[in-house]
Amino acid sequence: MRQGRLIATGAMLVFCLFALWQSLLLSLTDRLGPGPGFFPFWLALIGAVLAVALLVTTFREAADPSDAETRILPHGEGGKRWLAIVVLLAAVTVAMEYVGFRIAMLVFNAVLVVALGERRWWVIAVFSILGSVGVYYVFTTWLDVLLPVSPFGF
Amino acid sequence: MEALGHLLSGFAAALSWYYLLYAFVGCVLGTLIGVLPGLGPAAGTAILIPLTFSLDPTGAIIMLSAIYYGAMYGGTITSVLINVPGEAASVVTCIDGHQMARQGRAGSALGIAAIGSFVGGTLATVALVVVAMPLATLALKFGPAEFFALMVAGLCLVVGLAGKNILAALLMTVIGLLLALIGLDPVRGAPRFTFGIEELFDGIGFVPVVMGLFGVAELLLAAETRQTHMIQAELKSWMPTRQECKDSVGAIGRGTVVGFVLGLIPGVGAIVPTFMAYVLEKRVSKTPERFGKGAIEGVASAETANNAYANASMVPLLALGIPSSPTIAVLMGAFIINGITPGPFLFAEQPKLVWTVIASFFVGNVLLLILNLPLVGLWAKLLKIPFSYMCAGVLIFCVIGAYGLKQNLFDVWVMLGFGIIGYLLRKLDFPIAPAILALILGPMMEKSLRTTLEISGGSFAIFLDRPVALALLAIPVIVVGFLVFKPRSLAPLRESDAE
Amino acid sequence: MFIRRRTLLAASAASAVASPALAQNYPRRAVQLIVAFPAGGSTDVGARILAGLAEKDFGQPLTVVNKAGAGGQIGFTEAARARPDGYTLCFLNLPGMNTITLDPERKAAFTIDSFIPIVNQVLDPGFIWVKGDSPYKTLADLVDAAKKNPGKISACTTGILSDDHLAILMVQEAAKCEFRIVHFDGGAQQLTGVLGGHVDVAFDNVGSVFKRVATGEIRGLAVTDTQRSKFLPQIPITPELGMPTVISSSTRGVGAPKGTPADICKIVETAFLKAINSAEMKEKMDAVGLALKPMVGAEYAKYYADQQAQAKKYTEWALKMR
Repeated sequence: MRQGRLIATGAMLVFCLFALWQSLLLSLTDRLGPGPGFFPFWLALIGAVLAVALLVTTFREAADPSDAETRILPHGEGGKRWLAIVVLLAAVTVAMEYVGFRIAMLVFNAVLVVALGERRWWVIAVFSILGSVGVYYVFTTWLDVLLPVSPFGF
Repeated sequence: MEALGHLLSGFAAALSWYYLLYAFVGCVLGTLIGVLPGLGPAAGTAILIPLTFSLDPTGAIIMLSAIYYGAMYGGTITSVLINVPGEAASVVTCIDGHQMARQGRAGSALGIAAIGSFVGGTLATVALVVVAMPLATLALKFGPAEFFALMVAGLCLVVGLAGKNILAALLMTVIGLLLALIGLDPVRGAPRFTFGIEELFDGIGFVPVVMGLFGVAELLLAAETRQTHMIQAELKSWMPTRQECKDSVGAIGRGTVVGFVLGLIPGVGAIVPTFMAYVLEKRVSKTPERFGKGAIEGVASAETANNAYANASMVPLLALGIPSSPTIAVLMGAFIINGITPGPFLFAEQPKLVWTVIASFFVGNVLLLILNLPLVGLWAKLLKIPFSYMCAGVLIFCVIGAYGLKQNLFDVWVMLGFGIIGYLLRKLDFPIAPAILALILGPMMEKSLRTTLEISGGSFAIFLDRPVALALLAIPVIVVGFLVFKPRSLAPLRESDAE
Repeated sequence: MFIRRRTLLAASAASAVASPALAQNYPRRAVQLIVAFPAGGSTDVGARILAGLAEKDFGQPLTVVNKAGAGGQIGFTEAARARPDGYTLCFLNLPGMNTITLDPERKAAFTIDSFIPIVNQVLDPGFIWVKGDSPYKTLADLVDAAKKNPGKISACTTGILSDDHLAILMVQEAAKCEFRIVHFDGGAQQLTGVLGGHVDVAFDNVGSVFKRVATGEIRGLAVTDTQRSKFLPQIPITPELGMPTVISSSTRGVGAPKGTPADICKIVETAFLKAINSAEMKEKMDAVGLALKPMVGAEYAKYYADQQAQAKKYTEWALKMR
């Protein structure tokens, strides 16, 4: 926990310092008043100071013995389900561009419910179709929400 | 007194059966728009405008107002059930609403939201009738300097919520503000922090970020523990209990006042009043430690403030002709198309129509309550769906929501990225709410600060000359300063404050 | 990055979207009309009237979407990047749009050729006004005050290098005075800013505020045009006040992102032009004080190009004054 917080705060410090550097490339103030870099510069500066302060306080905190058991990253059986969701979501996002919403979601639904423990094939089939083709129909036809279509038109 | 007479004749008109029907249909459609992803309230309302073409002006406006209120309520349902706020105004409802659902109290949360919305909306409409004109003019005194101060106050008060994590909350606020800077500079136009990636020119979208931080992160947390349902607890009640109602009375009252007052100021947006009402409620509560863990007052205050705001924001439109949100702008468009130019002359030129519309606000609020209370049980039953299907369903919902607004796959990646970030932040106990608020307020805050400095010729002394701005700036600075620099003397208080 | 995406879009548009069947079915769903200024300003009010009247014939909803900021640059950028399939149209504000592309500091991601001008709706002359109880009764009062206190009288625009900003610069040049310039996003903020007493004078357009002159809420000082406005016949024009060089107006029409098929543009043109020429349009526009100036085809294209040439002159001049 403590280590995780230190790493996360460190990452935020880097983010703030990066923003600070970027804002220095913009003009801070000029004849017309405060420029595009004005607000980002002060924000990033405040952010960097806060991040350092948080790093110091977290570092000085006595290690909590119960903390050792809290694990930050997903692990074990649950970790597999966690990973399944993330990987499938990434895969479906890539796939939608090439095969469209309907096919991508059809496969996504089927694989995801199987990964999460469903085994009855007909339930999987009905759910996958409703959750892809059915949803597509409802949203594009009735609600005017555009969903991805493949370059081949499906 | 003249107003009262007008209002009564307005009621007579609004209560005719066909106007009631329009209002009813509007409420149903509006709620659906609020629930479904990919359609913001403004876009949803706009799409339904053609439905009103065949209606007379009064009927059309009654129906559109009903759609507007319905959409405001619809976002509550997804917030409570699956921790996905459909729009900015429902973010606060997630904090305690979803926790209540996890304890099997989804019915209570949705019920109190419907009741709070009704009371807030109705009282705000009463206030609109009584004080619309003078207050609208007074609200104009609220200039860019006060606006900036209000934004700072709002952010600091939300930081104050974080209890012992005050430094982390401040840091998260700054990170949220920095993320809000991505895109075109709101004054000069030059791209900032875009690194040549053209998808970033429009900035990081709010909807993909909250769908990730709330919806996807919640699923990832749930997936880790072996679960058969997204929510394990048995559904305890379909309605708020007597005790819960009693607990919420004060929250509803205070939420109404906060929502109404902030609704008068053009451009504040719905999220500030909901956060302010929530913070106020936690401050006055005898048991602030319950907040964030399913306190019904948290839901009641935010939802009441939300609807009071929605009704009060009609004041700048009717009294000044200034639309204060995108959805109100759609309503204004409908007014103009129907031959009504909103503005100070409206009350004098077309009193009958204005008062009929105001009367229909009352009617709309009543219908919304009648419509939603029986449906609460139905919505809560959705939680019985097994986890695997719920998970796939919520993800489809989030993908459509993130993609649909701009038809851009980049936004889906943003959602996934923030889902993982949200998961890690939750695990590490970093508060998320301040970052979300900052992301929404960032552009407004920068714009108002720069406008203020343009007005003052670059001098910060302008804040000293304006008592309201100064007061707004001073209070939160003192509160936060106190929390940061006097930790020891405040130790007992902080213990009870910690989440 | 920008170019790659453009070609990719164009390629996909050519392969899948721009099949002849598309135009036959157009419009099949709601069409977005991007307005690069906030709700309640004169562009927005005109756009909502146009959308409301045109969508009856159009057969599908026309959704006005406000994308305000940076003098319209935020909205124009989004519109220029939109899919050229006819489902995103944009209000083109001239000369505000031209100056954006001409100012190197703006790093605009679009050029004047990123849009196809389809049909023009409005020509809205500039209008200088103050709060109803302001001490400035005439333009001369205002200019005298600005001369006495250089840089102390605050004047607001609808964005950097917008037509209103140019009008301020023109007055400064003509009268040798200096204002403190405050940039708002659009007319609605100008109204709250001046009525709330935060800014002294607004450089705005006649549309959408003219009714407030009659109620005494605001006081008109001058219209920046060569002839008196039919909506405000009592307000003097700048040439009458000895400032013949202060002439400024905003022209607003509808365009589509480059690459939108010509037959789709034609459908939009026909539907919108019919609405613009209707009696109902005239009545509604008169009610809000917007002067119609319908232009299509070659006439509008020429006007569009001419505006660019004129704006080039003004932008160079304005950048020098900076």
